[in-house]
Amino acid sequence: MNNTNEMIVEFKSVAMNESFARMVVAAFIASTNPTLEEVSDVKTAVSEAVTNSIIHGYDSQDGRISILSRVEGRQVYIEIRDEGCGIPDVKKAMEPMYTTRPKEDRSGMGFSFMEAFMDRLEVESTVGLGTVVKMWKEIGVVKHHFE
Amino acid sequence: MDYQYKNGVFIYYLPKELDHYYADKLKRKSEATFASEQINYLIFDFSNTRFMDSSGIGLITGRFRRIHDKGGQTFVVNVTPAIDKLLKLSGIYTIIKKKDTKEDIIKEMVKGGYYE
Repeated sequence: MNNTNEMIVEFKSVAMNESFARMVVAAFIASTNPTLEEVSDVKTAVSEAVTNSIIHGYDSQDGRISILSRVEGRQVYIEIRDEGCGIPDVKKAMEPMYTTRPKEDRSGMGFSFMEAFMDRLEVESTVGLGTVVKMWKEIGVVKHHFE
Repeated sequence: MDYQYKNGVFIYYLPKELDHYYADKLKRKSEATFASEQINYLIFDFSNTRFMDSSGIGLITGRFRRIHDKGGQTFVVNVTPAIDKLLKLSGIYTIIKKKDTKEDIIKEMVKGGYYE
């Protein structure tokens, strides 16, 4: 039996699409039978990555964001890609509370939340070419994030 | 109603989904009142909120900073477990207080010398 599934969705980089992005991923991974908490974790992680692409990648200008998601049994893989300005120092960007835009009330917690709510996170970025965020999560595994 | 100001108390009734889009919208709408009034107590009411990401943390800390310098206090109320998890993780409870009900906030305000 082949129980893998895959979807790709592409949309314009506007803030309104942040909710669309997390809803579509949440709907897609429903076959893994996640708990409400797991759905919420995934939605938050997707929202963070897409928001980063819109605000930082494209500086709120026109662009395209694509999401590829793959489900294999209860393994979830999500890839969020933009062709924006890229991140010069990924390590620095991933530090908790680090933000290039403190005046705009950005918390600097985006990557921290992705890391906390998913099992694994990888960020590939090239200045001038764009950023790819890759995230993995196994559904049905009890995991204590913090405390 | 998205927000309300009365007698030194500013309450945000947060949207169903508190992300970058809705946080910015709320900030734009409330900016004139927020900037012009003396705010002694700032309350974020999560009654209707079912989703939040780090943009919500940015909204709260940004507002907190602006009133804290002038001696204001910040509270969150009616927080669901999912949102509580994010608030905890962000470390925000070191600067703001969580209360179960509005009555609990009023009690704390009265202790601090507030009267209607």
